[in-house]
Amino acid sequence: MAAPPEPGEPEERKLLGFLDVENTPCARHSILYGSLGSVVAGFGHFLFTSRIRRSCDVGVGGFILVTLGCWFHCRYNYAKQRIQERIAREEIKKKILYEGTHLDPERKHNGSSSN
Amino acid sequence: MAHAAQVGLQDATSPIMEELITFHDHALMIIFLICFLVLYALFLTLTTKLTNTNISDAQEMETVWTILPAIILVLITLPSLRILYMTDEVNDPSLTIKSIGHQWYWTYEYTDYGGLIFNSYMLPPLFLEPGDLRLLDVDNRVVLPIEAPIRMMITSQDVLHSWAVPTLGLKTDAIPGRLNQTTFTATRPGVYYGQCSEICGANHSFMPIVLELIPLKIFEMGPVFTL
Repeated sequence: MAAPPEPGEPEERKLLGFLDVENTPCARHSILYGSLGSVVAGFGHFLFTSRIRRSCDVGVGGFILVTLGCWFHCRYNYAKQRIQERIAREEIKKKILYEGTHLDPERKHNGSSSN
Repeated sequence: MAHAAQVGLQDATSPIMEELITFHDHALMIIFLICFLVLYALFLTLTTKLTNTNISDAQEMETVWTILPAIILVLITLPSLRILYMTDEVNDPSLTIKSIGHQWYWTYEYTDYGGLIFNSYMLPPLFLEPGDLRLLDVDNRVVLPIEAPIRMMITSQDVLHSWAVPTLGLKTDAIPGRLNQTTFTATRPGVYYGQCSEICGANHSFMPIVLELIPLKIFEMGPVFTL
């Protein structure tokens, strides 16, 4: 987010001039699904009612709802993944530190299972 | 440090800053959707052929545009309050450093394990070495360990200053006669820059803050413990 884009990295692409969809996790995914939802909802409504204006309103509403829904779902999973990564990093550090010593969790676990 | 013409936040060097970046993304997405809705409403207003000068009430619309903003505010407030209370947690700091603002330099005191006190002045352009950053580098950096909770006690000796390091998500006012406290835990080593963030006179822009974050083993060998 901070460094200028290196060659090979995706360039900044800002929707409405401020939402950086390339570098914000889940943003691109949510906007794309929102756009798809908007088209499906708007076009589907038009097929059933033949009302253009109302279908556009449904399309915009669909975009907002689907984008929000995908956003929260994706961010929730992203937060869970970050927590798991942090736990894994800590456990790897501990394993490296304590391997072979009396504090090694694997040794304790193997000792208790053999007893 | 920030790169030229940077608008966004710097990469996080502390868990609090990671949370702040997450919250910033969350709020920005909500703002984007509101802007999109407003632009659409504006477009409809400009392209409608309907002209009715006798509209007297619109109960459903008024209900929606009362309830919906309340929901949006709740969606923004809950994560914001969570982070606010997270920043106020004091989790048994390993080290306490005092930072005193002056016109126009900072004094740092490491008094936990001895009496290391030094001033930190901006390097004048004439004294810069190749590779040094103009208006950002200082003569004496604040050297701190990573992965250890650190408490900063911040005050001022003369006028208002503010001790800020954006990458750590820190900004605390230095107020004469008052001791403000902030805590942080750095997650990666490096050199991080900040600048005084409260107008304090002619050289307000020329009293930067530089933190040098190093592994604890190397920090223990330094002057804090050996002086």
